[in-house]
Amino acid sequence: MKLNIEGLLVYFPYDYIYPEQYSYMLELKRTLDAKGHGVLEMPSGTGKTISLLSLIVAYQREYPLEVTKLIYCSRTVPEIEKVVEELRKLMEFYSKETGEKNNILALALSSRKNLCVHPEVSSLRFGKEVDGKCHSLTASYIRAQRHSNPSLPSCRFYEEFDAMGKQVPLPAGVYNLDDLKEFGRRKGWCPYYLARYSILHANIIVYSYHYLLDPKIADLVSKELSKKSVVVFDEAHNIDNVCIDSMSVNITRRTLDRSQANVETLQNTILKIKETDAAKLKEEYRRLVEGLKEANVARETDIYMSNPVLPDEILQEAVPGSIRTAEHFVGFMKRFLEYLKARLRIHHVVQESAPQFLKDIFEKVCIDRKPLRFCAERLRSLLRTLEIADIADFSAITLISNFATLVSTYSKGFTIIIEPFEDRTPTIANPVLHFSCMDPSIAIKPVFERFQSVIITSGTLSPLDIYPRILDFRPVTVASFTMTLARTCLCPLVVGRGNDQVAMTSKFETREDFAVIRNYGNLLLEMSAIVPDGIVAFFTSYTYMENIVASWYEQGILENVQRNKLIFIETPDAAETSMALEKYQEACENGRGAILLSVARGKVSEGIDFVHHFGRAVIMFGVPYVYTQSRILKARLEYLRDQFQIRENDFLTFDAMRHAAQCVGRAIRGKTDYGLMIFADKRYARADKRGKLPRWIQEHLTDGSLNLTIDETVQLSKHFLRQMAQPFRQEDQLGLSLLTLEQLQSEDMLQKIAQIAHQA
Amino acid sequence: MAALSEEVLLVVKRVRQRKQDGTLYLMAERIAWGPEGKDRFTVSHLYADIRCQKISPDGKAKIQLQLVLHTGESTNLHFSNESTALKDRDAAKDLLQQLLPKFKKRANKELEEKNRMLQEDPVLFQLYKDLVVCQVISAEEFWANRLSINNVDHSLSNNKQEVGISAAFLADIRPQTDGCNGLRYNLTSDIIESIFRTYPAVKQKYGENVPHNMTEKEFWTRFFQSHYFHRDRINTGLQDIFSECAKQDEKGLKSMVFQGVKNPMVDLLSLEDKSLDEGYGSNSTAPSTSNTNKTVKENSNSAIIKRFNHHSTMVLAAGSGKKADAPNGQACETSSTDGNSRDSDFFQPPIKKVKIQDVIEYEDLHRENGKKTVALNLKKSDRYSHGPVPLLPQQYTTSQDIVNSVNCIKQEIASYKPCLTQVMSSSTASCAIAALSPGGVLMQALAQQAINQMVPNDVQGELKHLYTAAGELLRHFWSCFPVNTLFLEEKLTGHLEDMFQMAYNKFHAWQTRRMMRKT
Repeated sequence: MKLNIEGLLVYFPYDYIYPEQYSYMLELKRTLDAKGHGVLEMPSGTGKTISLLSLIVAYQREYPLEVTKLIYCSRTVPEIEKVVEELRKLMEFYSKETGEKNNILALALSSRKNLCVHPEVSSLRFGKEVDGKCHSLTASYIRAQRHSNPSLPSCRFYEEFDAMGKQVPLPAGVYNLDDLKEFGRRKGWCPYYLARYSILHANIIVYSYHYLLDPKIADLVSKELSKKSVVVFDEAHNIDNVCIDSMSVNITRRTLDRSQANVETLQNTILKIKETDAAKLKEEYRRLVEGLKEANVARETDIYMSNPVLPDEILQEAVPGSIRTAEHFVGFMKRFLEYLKARLRIHHVVQESAPQFLKDIFEKVCIDRKPLRFCAERLRSLLRTLEIADIADFSAITLISNFATLVSTYSKGFTIIIEPFEDRTPTIANPVLHFSCMDPSIAIKPVFERFQSVIITSGTLSPLDIYPRILDFRPVTVASFTMTLARTCLCPLVVGRGNDQVAMTSKFETREDFAVIRNYGNLLLEMSAIVPDGIVAFFTSYTYMENIVASWYEQGILENVQRNKLIFIETPDAAETSMALEKYQEACENGRGAILLSVARGKVSEGIDFVHHFGRAVIMFGVPYVYTQSRILKARLEYLRDQFQIRENDFLTFDAMRHAAQCVGRAIRGKTDYGLMIFADKRYARADKRGKLPRWIQEHLTDGSLNLTIDETVQLSKHFLRQMAQPFRQEDQLGLSLLTLEQLQSEDMLQKIAQIAHQA
Repeated sequence: MAALSEEVLLVVKRVRQRKQDGTLYLMAERIAWGPEGKDRFTVSHLYADIRCQKISPDGKAKIQLQLVLHTGESTNLHFSNESTALKDRDAAKDLLQQLLPKFKKRANKELEEKNRMLQEDPVLFQLYKDLVVCQVISAEEFWANRLSINNVDHSLSNNKQEVGISAAFLADIRPQTDGCNGLRYNLTSDIIESIFRTYPAVKQKYGENVPHNMTEKEFWTRFFQSHYFHRDRINTGLQDIFSECAKQDEKGLKSMVFQGVKNPMVDLLSLEDKSLDEGYGSNSTAPSTSNTNKTVKENSNSAIIKRFNHHSTMVLAAGSGKKADAPNGQACETSSTDGNSRDSDFFQPPIKKVKIQDVIEYEDLHRENGKKTVALNLKKSDRYSHGPVPLLPQQYTTSQDIVNSVNCIKQEIASYKPCLTQVMSSSTASCAIAALSPGGVLMQALAQQAINQMVPNDVQGELKHLYTAAGELLRHFWSCFPVNTLFLEEKLTGHLEDMFQMAYNKFHAWQTRRMMRKT
């Protein structure tokens, strides 16, 4: 259908539309008009992606000069592929309706592992291996060497692409990962480099967060993207953690040992080169004297996105003299390594700020702040000069140099924690230096500054005001949308007690309590008897799940559960879990029914959907608080309190509730879907917890469904399931939660729609 | 009454039935009991008729054996020989235990199948009545053709539906304490079957060790003692014969894991697009996987989890009809292609595409486009649109002719120019119109009754039966060609001809009967 969104003609590739989709598009349009950032929460399964795409594509067509590019960031590879397929659908609809061919180029970009077509390289199992192998075939100096020695191996796809691929841009169309590979195979071009090259002129790019948020990758891939882009972060409820992860560094003894080896290799290579090709080193020296002018000019002329690792100031300076020659730099790194080694030789935990660390390093080994800041850049230059083939081997020393640059650049927002051993095993020495970022806004700042509109959206962003605070930006729209439902297809219940009235909670003091574990077991057992097909249960942590499973086994609860359903359990091993998942789905599919025991914050809870019969009930055992004894977390909480005035408890609860919401939200993926959401912990009944759940769940959490016993839960669930099992047809939804174009245009419907968006 | 050829497998004396002493005979095909001093059996059951046997509990004073028949009746046999009663009973029980399953499978299976077919298919039933009951052909011949056809298309799906395995079969063997520091496990043949199907490794061990190395009882005792059965125990001594099973399971699990998953949407390995490099990230203090710093408890916990996953997988595999040890076999098969698996992802995209399409589809946002119907495929549309038309002594026009003439008329009408000088008189015109209107003289052919309305229903039905019967005979006839066996030749020259004759007679009889009734 064709929609009129405040004067903008939007093609929407379906015959009907959900009211909240319309409302979502309205808010999105306003955000784009204002050229500002937005935070939008809409439940999953209400067609968020297609609404986003429809509106932004329409906007791009209407105002091609205002918005030149859409950068759609998602979290996982399947998500990325899903987005591209939805886009393809939209584009097909466009060409069907308008009758003209599309001139929009849309493509997905992923790592080499997912795009490589080189027969040998692509058969490697791990992403890192693929990257390393690819690099060893395609690095510029290797190719230069090949001129003199043609027998060196090469990648014909890359060569072909380099020779031909850049002349003609990729023809317009929608390219998913497989399409790119197919195209690459046909043309004999490398799909990965083709995609990386093509994103510069593509209208729509779909890729993962890291390409924008991880400075190491963003610098390579995304820095030349146009300023007039709209950036969308989908499934953004964890965006702060992604930011933090990309800026944090951990150094162990092993890292140091490997860096030591790296440094030695560097030294030897330098010696060798000095004998054979001293001019090369001189040339490098000259370049360093001239400074990082190129980069500086580029950034000033606004071609590049800034890199948080490489702050503006250092671009204006030349690399300091003390590390300009290769030998000096290697010596410098050696000294730095020795210092770090000495720091790791401790017996008690040390926590300090970056300035303290710098002061200490100056006092102990006379290393200045300034050369440290240039470490990363200097090492990169050296590696390039020395023509090191396998960069992957030098990951350790690269890590150290990145750390050096970061620690000397940021005096705020980071903390250094040195732990001599893991908390659980105080007898085994395993010193780790955590250099941990506490301020997610550092990594995302360049994105907000560079691009005109950044949309942060997800099914669970409640409470909405916290994201702008921790990411430090000022959005023009903040809105939460509810799900209009013709029937209440979600049923959140808070189970607080067992039938014996013993409180159920995963609180630390009582979580090992026999009665609590037994009650949890009874809950699972009872539910396994009444819920059809699949049940997914989430625990607060892996160790907790292990303990509970063991005691359930001892008590014979699991055997009884097995009478009703098969049991599958998430393990720390991803491959094993994948298999368990597949078998779980198979068991749901063939009617046996199954239970999946899983972990909140685990891979399953973040990336796998349990549509329809794959998840008729989700049980959340306990409140998934993060492990609060961790020093890094404590430091971060302190930072949040001091900088953003967010109380520790508020943040912890917020974090726990967003994960709980993620877990239970896995079961509902649409309006025809239905599922029970069982929160098995009495603490969920409290207003401070409940209030932090997304609005679309909160709405259905009535006072009558708080603090139930297991028996009451079973009764309510039975009633709910029986109701939901009745046939549900399109007519039942039409006019309420599903609208035709005419219905959409009616006056009172528009009024109703206005209420869907809940401004924060 | 006892046939001479019958082989007597076991004779038990002093068995009482209805308070009468007598002798129990177990023969090759039946079990029989005769009262003392008489040479005929008052009780005789074919094994095939027996549903199950029950025995009295051990402690009871009366030592009895009950036979329950399919009909629901039962016969109680009381072993009354004081000294050897228990032994006698057990001997009888054991023998029955061996014999019954054999007959159970064969019992009436064919007959049931035939019965089922006749009940399900009324046409076949009628055919059966027409041909077999009227003795046109023999029942065997009738079925000879049918069943074989039937077996072909049913053998896959319908032959015998595999019964799945309860996931909790191990729970059903809950040990009971017998009061004096011992544990008793109750094993039934069903459970043993379940164990074997789920754990082929155990079956293998059983085959290797029983009965050469140990008795069956010993085998199961060891099984229940082993860590293999107790999922929370970790490997014990090497002499445990089941430690090998555990290893084998582990291997099977590993190979399955290595194969990866087919559904890309659940593949957690390829979920992450770009993992952080080693050393970056805030929580890279992932628990080190080395076992050294794990406590025994943690180890046993993760063993439980692994074994639960394995157990469920195996139960699922056993239930879905695949051979339970398939993963091992498959592993070799696929791993050979795995080397160039990247090339084999030519096969992968379709699955992936379909899955993704499934996921992004919002079915309720689409307009429903009616029910899906099956297109009617007509070989001869002529016959469909006309139906059997009574043969009239006029020229038969094909639909092509009609179409042509319609076109002709159309053209003429298109180029029709009224010639106003030569119009008819109004009365003639109205006459012509009347004749051309439905019911008019010229339109009579249309108003004629269709043949199916002319012939009464019962006649139609009978005719249909005759027709199908004749068709069946023809089928038999044609199935004899090519005549390459003696049997076929005989059939063709011998009784088929008779059959046709008979069928013809039957038809003739019917015809004359009809004629008689009509006149």
